[in-house]
Amino acid sequence: MRPNRRLILCAFILILAVAVAAVSVPQQDQPQGGQDQTQTDQQQQQQQQQQKKKKKGGFFGGLKAVTGETGEQSEVTRTAGSKSVGEGEKMGDVQPTAADRRAVKGMEDYSLPQKDVKKFQEDGKLQPQQ
Amino acid sequence: MHGRISRRLGRLILSVVTIAGLTVPAAWSGEPQIWNTIKKHADTVQKKTAKVQEAAKPMSVEEEKDVGREVAAKVVGFSHLYKNDELRRYVNLVGATVAAQSERREIQYHFAVLDTDDINAFSAPGGYVFITRGAVALCEDESELAGVLAHEVGHVAGKHVLHIVERDRVMQAGMKEASNYVPGSDYLQKVSKNILVKLLDQGLAPGDEFDADARGVKYAHAAGYPADGLERFLVKLDQATNQGANSFWSRTHPPVKDRDDRIQKQIASQHWEDADRPRLADRFAAETAGLAKTKQGM
Repeated sequence: MRPNRRLILCAFILILAVAVAAVSVPQQDQPQGGQDQTQTDQQQQQQQQQQKKKKKGGFFGGLKAVTGETGEQSEVTRTAGSKSVGEGEKMGDVQPTAADRRAVKGMEDYSLPQKDVKKFQEDGKLQPQQ
Repeated sequence: MHGRISRRLGRLILSVVTIAGLTVPAAWSGEPQIWNTIKKHADTVQKKTAKVQEAAKPMSVEEEKDVGREVAAKVVGFSHLYKNDELRRYVNLVGATVAAQSERREIQYHFAVLDTDDINAFSAPGGYVFITRGAVALCEDESELAGVLAHEVGHVAGKHVLHIVERDRVMQAGMKEASNYVPGSDYLQKVSKNILVKLLDQGLAPGDEFDADARGVKYAHAAGYPADGLERFLVKLDQATNQGANSFWSRTHPPVKDRDDRIQKQIASQHWEDADRPRLADRFAAETAGLAKTKQGM
Protein backbone atom coordinates (compact mmCIF):
# COMPACT_ATOMS: atom_id res chain seq x y z
CA MET A 1 0.00 0.00 0.00
CA ARG A 2 1.29 3.36 -0.89
CA PRO A 3 1.93 5.72 1.98
CA ASN A 4 -0.61 8.31 0.78
CA ARG A 5 -3.35 5.68 0.59
CA ARG A 6 -2.42 4.47 4.07
CA LEU A 7 -2.68 8.02 5.27
CA ILE A 8 -6.12 8.36 3.72
CA LEU A 9 -7.27 5.10 5.29
CA CYS A 10 -6.00 6.12 8.71
CA ALA A 11 -7.66 9.49 8.39
CA PHE A 12 -10.90 7.87 7.26
CA ILE A 13 -10.88 5.45 10.22
CA LEU A 14 -10.13 8.32 12.56
CA ILE A 15 -12.96 10.39 11.14
CA LEU A 16 -15.31 7.43 11.24
CA ALA A 17 -14.41 6.86 14.87
CA VAL A 18 -15.07 10.52 15.67
CA ALA A 19 -18.39 10.36 13.85
CA VAL A 20 -19.46 7.19 15.62
CA ALA A 21 -18.45 8.71 18.94
CA ALA A 22 -20.38 11.86 18.18
CA VAL A 23 -23.52 9.89 17.40
CA SER A 24 -23.13 7.50 20.32
CA VAL A 25 -22.65 10.21 22.94
CA PRO A 26 -26.18 11.58 22.66
CA GLN A 27 -27.56 8.06 22.41
CA GLN A 28 -25.96 7.26 25.74
CA ASP A 29 -26.99 10.58 27.17
CA GLN A 30 -30.57 10.36 26.12
CA PRO A 31 -31.59 7.62 28.49
CA GLN A 32 -29.65 9.38 31.21
CA GLY A 33 -31.34 12.57 30.22
CA GLY A 34 -34.62 10.70 30.40
CA GLN A 35 -33.73 9.42 33.83
CA ASP A 36 -32.78 12.93 34.88
CA GLN A 37 -36.07 14.16 33.50
CA THR A 38 -37.93 11.44 35.36
CA GLN A 39 -36.07 12.35 38.53
CA THR A 40 -36.83 16.01 37.94
CA ASP A 41 -40.49 15.17 37.36
CA GLN A 42 -40.54 13.11 40.55
CA GLN A 43 -38.94 15.97 42.46
CA GLN A 44 -41.47 18.37 41.00
CA GLN A 45 -44.30 16.03 41.94
CA GLN A 46 -42.94 15.73 45.47
CA GLN A 47 -42.64 19.49 45.72
CA GLN A 48 -46.17 19.89 44.38
CA GLN A 49 -47.47 17.33 46.88
CA GLN A 50 -45.69 19.13 49.71
CA GLN A 51 -47.15 22.43 48.54
CA LYS A 52 -50.57 20.83 48.35
CA LYS A 53 -50.18 19.49 51.87
CA LYS A 54 -49.09 22.90 53.12
CA LYS A 55 -52.06 24.53 51.45
CA LYS A 56 -54.38 21.86 52.76
CA GLY A 57 -53.14 22.60 56.25
CA GLY A 58 -55.80 25.26 56.59
CA PHE A 59 -58.75 23.00 56.20
CA PHE A 60 -57.68 19.41 55.71
CA GLY A 61 -54.56 19.65 57.81
CA GLY A 62 -56.33 18.10 60.74
CA LEU A 63 -56.75 14.82 58.96
CA LYS A 64 -53.01 14.30 58.73
CA ALA A 65 -52.53 13.90 62.44
CA VAL A 66 -55.08 11.11 62.44
CA THR A 67 -54.14 9.33 59.26
CA GLY A 68 -50.42 9.76 59.77
CA GLU A 69 -50.06 10.83 56.16
CA THR A 70 -47.09 12.97 57.01
CA GLY A 71 -44.62 13.56 59.77
CA GLU A 72 -45.23 17.29 59.62
CA GLN A 73 -46.67 18.84 62.74
CA SER A 74 -50.21 19.80 61.95
CA GLU A 75 -51.96 22.95 63.06
CA VAL A 76 -54.07 20.79 65.31
CA THR A 77 -51.20 19.56 67.42
CA ARG A 78 -49.70 23.02 67.53
CA THR A 79 -52.99 24.53 68.66
CA ALA A 80 -53.89 21.83 71.10
CA GLY A 81 -50.54 21.98 72.80
CA SER A 82 -50.11 18.96 75.00
CA LYS A 83 -53.26 17.31 73.70
CA SER A 84 -52.38 14.77 71.06
CA VAL A 85 -55.86 14.71 69.57
CA GLY A 86 -58.06 17.79 69.59
CA GLU A 87 -61.73 17.86 70.52
CA GLY A 88 -62.63 18.58 66.92
CA GLU A 89 -60.86 15.46 65.76
CA LYS A 90 -62.53 13.36 68.42
CA MET A 91 -65.90 14.80 67.49
CA GLY A 92 -65.14 14.36 63.82
CA ASP A 93 -64.38 10.69 64.33
CA VAL A 94 -67.85 10.05 65.74
CA GLN A 95 -70.02 7.86 63.54
CA PRO A 96 -73.50 9.27 64.14
CA THR A 97 -76.09 6.73 65.12
CA ALA A 98 -79.67 6.69 63.92
CA ALA A 99 -80.63 8.28 67.24
CA ASP A 100 -78.13 11.09 66.66
CA ARG A 101 -79.59 11.74 63.22
CA ARG A 102 -83.10 11.70 64.68
CA ALA A 103 -81.97 14.27 67.25
CA VAL A 104 -80.70 16.52 64.47
CA LYS A 105 -83.95 16.03 62.59
CA GLY A 106 -85.73 17.05 65.79
CA MET A 107 -83.60 20.19 65.87
CA GLU A 108 -84.64 21.00 62.31
CA ASP A 109 -88.30 20.31 62.90
CA TYR A 110 -88.40 22.39 66.05
CA SER A 111 -89.98 25.63 65.04
CA LEU A 112 -91.70 28.16 67.18
CA PRO A 113 -94.87 29.85 65.99
CA GLN A 114 -94.18 33.39 64.90
CA LYS A 115 -96.78 34.67 67.35
CA ASP A 116 -94.83 33.07 70.21
CA VAL A 117 -91.65 34.79 69.08
CA LYS A 118 -93.49 38.09 68.82
CA LYS A 119 -95.00 37.69 72.27
CA PHE A 120 -91.59 36.80 73.67
CA GLN A 121 -90.16 40.00 72.22
CA GLU A 122 -93.04 42.10 73.49
CA ASP A 123 -92.80 40.60 76.96
CA GLY A 124 -89.12 41.52 77.03
CA LYS A 125 -89.86 45.02 75.75
CA LEU A 126 -87.58 44.34 72.82
CA GLN A 127 -88.19 46.42 69.76
CA PRO A 128 -86.68 44.53 66.84
CA GLN A 129 -86.06 46.45 63.64
CA GLN A 130 -87.58 43.66 61.53
CA MET B 1 -0.40 14.46 -5.41
CA HIS B 2 0.08 15.15 -1.72
CA GLY B 3 -1.69 18.44 -2.14
CA ARG B 4 -4.72 16.70 -3.66
CA ILE B 5 -4.85 14.18 -0.82
CA SER B 6 -4.59 16.93 1.72
CA ARG B 7 -7.47 18.82 0.12
CA ARG B 8 -9.63 15.68 0.06
CA LEU B 9 -8.73 14.93 3.65
CA GLY B 10 -9.50 18.50 4.62
CA ARG B 11 -12.92 18.37 2.96
CA LEU B 12 -13.71 15.08 4.65
CA ILE B 13 -12.76 16.38 8.08
CA LEU B 14 -14.74 19.57 7.47
CA SER B 15 -17.83 17.52 6.53
CA VAL B 16 -17.59 15.33 9.60
CA VAL B 17 -17.07 18.28 11.90
CA THR B 18 -20.03 20.08 10.34
CA ILE B 19 -22.30 17.07 10.69
CA ALA B 20 -21.11 16.49 14.24
CA GLY B 21 -21.58 20.17 15.04
CA LEU B 22 -25.16 19.99 13.88
CA THR B 23 -26.16 16.67 15.37
CA VAL B 24 -24.40 16.61 18.75
CA PRO B 25 -25.87 19.81 20.29
CA ALA B 26 -29.33 18.88 19.04
CA ALA B 27 -29.06 15.43 20.54
CA TRP B 28 -27.61 16.72 23.82
CA SER B 29 -30.25 19.37 24.23
CA GLY B 30 -32.95 16.67 24.42
CA GLU B 31 -35.15 18.78 22.20
CA PRO B 32 -37.98 16.25 21.88
CA GLN B 33 -38.14 15.94 25.68
CA ILE B 34 -38.38 19.69 26.06
CA TRP B 35 -41.39 19.72 23.76
CA ASN B 36 -42.91 16.77 25.55
CA THR B 37 -42.44 18.51 28.91
CA ILE B 38 -43.92 21.76 27.61
CA LYS B 39 -46.88 19.88 26.17
CA LYS B 40 -47.38 17.97 29.43
CA HIS B 41 -47.35 21.14 31.52
CA ALA B 42 -49.69 22.88 29.08
CA ASP B 43 -52.13 19.95 29.37
CA THR B 44 -51.89 20.06 33.17
CA VAL B 45 -52.53 23.80 33.26
CA GLN B 46 -55.50 23.37 30.91
CA LYS B 47 -56.99 20.59 33.05
CA LYS B 48 -56.48 22.53 36.30
CA THR B 49 -58.00 25.65 34.81
CA ALA B 50 -61.05 23.66 33.76
CA LYS B 51 -61.38 22.18 37.26
CA VAL B 52 -61.12 25.58 38.93
CA GLN B 53 -63.74 26.99 36.57
CA GLU B 54 -66.09 24.11 37.41
CA ALA B 55 -65.46 24.43 41.13
CA ALA B 56 -66.01 28.18 41.12
CA LYS B 57 -69.71 27.44 41.35
CA PRO B 58 -70.69 28.07 44.98
CA MET B 59 -72.38 25.44 47.08
CA SER B 60 -76.15 25.56 46.98
CA VAL B 61 -78.14 26.18 50.15
CA GLU B 62 -79.37 22.58 50.06
CA GLU B 63 -75.82 21.27 49.77
CA GLU B 64 -74.77 23.61 52.57
CA LYS B 65 -77.54 22.19 54.75
CA ASP B 66 -76.46 18.62 53.93
CA VAL B 67 -72.94 19.42 55.08
CA GLY B 68 -74.20 21.21 58.20
CA ARG B 69 -76.55 18.32 59.02
CA GLU B 70 -73.64 15.89 58.98
CA VAL B 71 -71.59 18.18 61.23
CA ALA B 72 -74.54 18.48 63.59
CA ALA B 73 -74.97 14.69 63.72
CA LYS B 74 -71.34 14.28 64.79
CA VAL B 75 -71.69 17.06 67.37
CA VAL B 76 -74.82 15.50 68.83
CA GLY B 77 -73.20 12.07 68.78
CA PHE B 78 -70.24 13.38 70.75
CA SER B 79 -71.75 15.84 73.22
CA HIS B 80 -75.46 14.93 73.26
CA LEU B 81 -78.24 17.44 73.47
CA TYR B 82 -79.21 18.78 76.85
CA LYS B 83 -82.66 17.46 77.62
CA ASN B 84 -84.53 20.44 78.98
CA ASP B 85 -87.57 21.54 76.99
CA GLU B 86 -87.90 24.91 78.73
CA LEU B 87 -84.29 25.84 78.06
CA ARG B 88 -84.54 24.56 74.51
CA ARG B 89 -87.55 26.76 73.88
CA TYR B 90 -85.92 29.76 75.52
CA VAL B 91 -82.66 29.46 73.58
CA ASN B 92 -84.63 29.08 70.34
CA LEU B 93 -86.72 32.18 71.15
CA VAL B 94 -83.63 34.28 71.82
CA GLY B 95 -81.90 32.76 68.80
CA ALA B 96 -84.85 33.39 66.50
CA THR B 97 -85.01 36.99 67.71
CA VAL B 98 -81.40 37.75 66.74
CA ALA B 99 -81.37 35.52 63.65
CA ALA B 100 -84.29 37.51 62.23
CA GLN B 101 -81.79 40.35 61.79
CA SER B 102 -79.40 38.21 59.74
CA GLU B 103 -78.76 39.08 56.10
CA ARG B 104 -79.27 35.46 55.03
CA ARG B 105 -83.03 35.01 54.87
CA GLU B 106 -82.77 31.75 52.94
CA ILE B 107 -81.34 30.03 55.99
CA GLN B 108 -83.51 28.65 58.75
CA TYR B 109 -81.52 28.69 61.97
CA HIS B 110 -81.71 25.84 64.48
CA PHE B 111 -80.48 26.32 68.04
CA ALA B 112 -79.58 23.61 70.53
CA VAL B 113 -77.92 23.28 73.92
CA LEU B 114 -75.18 20.70 74.34
CA ASP B 115 -74.91 18.79 77.58
CA THR B 116 -71.44 19.75 78.71
CA ASP B 117 -69.86 22.05 81.28
CA ASP B 118 -67.38 23.33 78.71
CA ILE B 119 -67.98 26.94 77.77
CA ASN B 120 -68.41 26.86 74.02
CA ALA B 121 -70.64 27.91 71.18
CA PHE B 122 -70.25 27.20 67.51
CA SER B 123 -72.20 26.97 64.32
CA ALA B 124 -72.16 24.75 61.27
CA PRO B 125 -73.07 25.66 57.70
CA GLY B 126 -76.78 25.59 57.02
CA GLY B 127 -77.74 27.36 60.25
CA TYR B 128 -77.04 24.78 62.97
CA VAL B 129 -76.08 26.72 66.11
CA PHE B 130 -74.87 25.04 69.27
CA ILE B 131 -74.26 26.51 72.70
CA THR B 132 -73.12 24.45 75.65
CA ARG B 133 -74.82 24.23 79.00
CA GLY B 134 -71.63 25.73 80.47
CA ALA B 135 -71.84 28.77 78.21
CA VAL B 136 -75.49 29.39 79.08
CA ALA B 137 -74.61 29.10 82.76
CA LEU B 138 -71.85 31.70 82.36
CA CYS B 139 -74.33 34.27 81.01
CA GLU B 140 -75.81 36.63 83.57
CA ASP B 141 -78.65 37.95 81.47
CA GLU B 142 -80.50 37.44 78.21
CA SER B 143 -78.57 40.11 76.35
CA GLU B 144 -75.34 38.15 76.87
CA LEU B 145 -76.95 34.96 75.60
CA ALA B 146 -78.29 36.93 72.64
CA GLY B 147 -74.80 38.28 71.96
CA VAL B 148 -73.24 34.81 71.89
CA LEU B 149 -75.96 33.35 69.66
CA ALA B 150 -75.80 36.38 67.38
CA HIS B 151 -72.04 35.87 67.00
CA GLU B 152 -72.70 32.32 65.79
CA VAL B 153 -75.45 33.48 63.46
CA GLY B 154 -72.84 35.93 62.17
CA HIS B 155 -70.55 33.06 61.19
CA VAL B 156 -73.33 31.43 59.17
CA ALA B 157 -74.40 34.73 57.62
CA GLY B 158 -70.78 35.54 56.77
CA LYS B 159 -70.38 32.03 55.25
CA HIS B 160 -67.06 31.75 57.03
CA VAL B 161 -66.95 27.98 57.17
CA LEU B 162 -68.73 27.62 53.86
CA HIS B 163 -66.10 29.67 52.07
CA ILE B 164 -63.32 27.52 53.51
CA VAL B 165 -65.10 24.42 52.25
CA GLU B 166 -65.69 25.94 48.83
CA ARG B 167 -62.07 27.04 48.51
CA ASP B 168 -60.64 23.65 49.42
CA ARG B 169 -59.51 21.64 46.43
CA VAL B 170 -60.28 18.25 47.96
CA MET B 171 -63.76 19.50 48.75
CA GLN B 172 -64.14 20.98 45.30
CA ALA B 173 -63.38 17.65 43.70
CA GLY B 174 -66.43 16.10 45.32
CA MET B 175 -68.79 19.05 45.17
CA LYS B 176 -70.30 18.12 41.84
CA GLU B 177 -71.27 14.56 42.78
CA ALA B 178 -74.85 14.50 44.02
CA SER B 179 -74.29 11.09 45.61
CA ASN B 180 -71.72 12.68 47.92
CA TYR B 181 -74.48 14.51 49.77
CA VAL B 182 -76.20 11.38 51.03
CA PRO B 183 -76.08 11.38 54.86
CA GLY B 184 -73.13 9.35 56.09
CA SER B 185 -71.34 9.34 52.74
CA ASP B 186 -67.55 9.21 52.82
CA TYR B 187 -67.49 12.67 51.38
CA LEU B 188 -69.74 14.21 54.04
CA GLN B 189 -67.89 12.29 56.76
CA LYS B 190 -64.60 13.72 55.60
CA VAL B 191 -65.85 17.26 55.10
CA SER B 192 -67.76 17.38 58.39
CA LYS B 193 -64.80 16.03 60.32
CA ASN B 194 -62.54 18.65 58.87
CA ILE B 195 -65.02 21.40 59.61
CA LEU B 196 -65.00 20.32 63.24
CA VAL B 197 -61.20 20.21 63.32
CA LYS B 198 -61.15 23.67 61.84
CA LEU B 199 -63.76 25.05 64.23
CA LEU B 200 -62.70 23.45 67.49
CA ASP B 201 -58.98 22.76 67.11
CA GLN B 202 -57.50 25.14 64.59
CA GLY B 203 -59.92 28.03 64.74
CA LEU B 204 -61.18 30.26 61.98
CA ALA B 205 -59.15 33.20 60.71
CA PRO B 206 -59.09 36.13 63.17
CA GLY B 207 -60.75 38.24 60.48
CA ASP B 208 -63.70 35.85 60.39
CA GLU B 209 -64.05 36.03 64.17
CA PHE B 210 -63.95 39.82 64.14
CA ASP B 211 -66.51 39.79 61.33
CA ALA B 212 -68.79 37.45 63.31
CA ASP B 213 -68.42 39.75 66.33
CA ALA B 214 -69.36 42.79 64.25
CA ARG B 215 -72.34 41.03 62.72
CA GLY B 216 -73.43 39.63 66.08
CA VAL B 217 -73.27 43.02 67.76
CA LYS B 218 -75.29 44.48 64.91
CA TYR B 219 -77.94 41.74 65.06
CA ALA B 220 -78.26 41.99 68.85
CA HIS B 221 -78.69 45.74 68.64
CA ALA B 222 -81.19 45.45 65.79
CA ALA B 223 -83.11 42.85 67.78
CA GLY B 224 -83.58 45.33 70.61
CA TYR B 225 -80.89 44.15 73.02
CA PRO B 226 -78.01 46.30 74.26
CA ALA B 227 -75.21 45.82 71.77
CA ASP B 228 -72.56 45.03 74.37
CA GLY B 229 -73.94 41.66 75.51
CA LEU B 230 -71.24 39.72 73.67
CA GLU B 231 -68.54 42.01 75.05
CA ARG B 232 -69.67 41.41 78.63
CA PHE B 233 -69.81 37.67 78.02
CA LEU B 234 -66.26 37.66 76.62
CA VAL B 235 -64.89 39.36 79.73
CA LYS B 236 -66.46 36.66 81.90
CA LEU B 237 -65.24 33.92 79.57
CA ASP B 238 -61.71 35.25 79.85
CA GLN B 239 -61.91 35.20 83.63
CA ALA B 240 -63.43 31.71 83.66
CA THR B 241 -60.79 30.21 81.36
CA ASN B 242 -58.04 31.86 83.40
CA GLN B 243 -59.46 29.99 86.38
CA GLY B 244 -59.35 26.68 84.50
CA ALA B 245 -62.65 26.48 82.66
CA ASN B 246 -62.47 24.59 79.37
CA SER B 247 -63.29 26.54 76.25
CA PHE B 248 -61.92 26.26 72.76
CA TRP B 249 -62.87 29.91 72.29
CA SER B 250 -59.91 30.91 74.43
CA ARG B 251 -57.56 28.69 72.41
CA THR B 252 -58.76 29.41 68.90
CA HIS B 253 -60.25 32.90 68.97
CA PRO B 254 -58.44 36.24 68.96
CA PRO B 255 -57.59 37.69 72.40
CA VAL B 256 -60.61 39.00 74.27
CA LYS B 257 -59.07 42.45 74.63
CA ASP B 258 -58.75 42.82 70.85
CA ARG B 259 -62.32 41.69 70.34
CA ASP B 260 -63.74 43.92 73.05
CA ASP B 261 -61.80 46.91 71.74
CA ARG B 262 -63.28 46.41 68.30
CA ILE B 263 -66.79 45.94 69.67
CA GLN B 264 -66.50 49.14 71.69
CA LYS B 265 -65.27 51.03 68.64
CA GLN B 266 -68.15 49.62 66.57
CA ILE B 267 -70.73 50.69 69.14
CA ALA B 268 -69.12 54.12 69.50
CA SER B 269 -68.92 54.66 65.75
CA GLN B 270 -72.60 53.76 65.34
CA HIS B 271 -73.61 56.07 68.21
CA TRP B 272 -75.75 53.34 69.69
CA GLU B 273 -77.02 54.77 72.96
CA ASP B 274 -78.63 51.55 74.13
CA ALA B 275 -77.40 51.31 77.72
CA ASP B 276 -80.98 51.59 78.91
CA ARG B 277 -82.18 48.72 76.75
CA PRO B 278 -83.41 45.60 78.58
CA ARG B 279 -80.76 43.11 79.59
CA LEU B 280 -83.51 40.86 80.91
CA ALA B 281 -81.59 39.34 83.78
CA ASP B 282 -84.75 38.32 85.62
CA ARG B 283 -86.27 36.54 82.66
CA PHE B 284 -82.97 34.83 82.00
CA ALA B 285 -82.78 33.64 85.61
CA ALA B 286 -86.34 32.32 85.48
CA GLU B 287 -85.90 30.56 82.14
CA THR B 288 -82.61 28.94 83.13
CA ALA B 289 -83.72 27.94 86.61
CA GLY B 290 -83.88 24.32 85.46
CA LEU B 291 -80.26 24.58 84.40
CA ALA B 292 -79.26 25.77 87.87
CA LYS B 293 -81.18 22.89 89.43
CA THR B 294 -79.47 20.43 87.12
CA LYS B 295 -76.09 21.86 88.03
CA GLN B 296 -76.85 21.65 91.74
CA GLY B 297 -77.98 18.09 91.34
CA MET B 298 -74.81 17.09 89.56
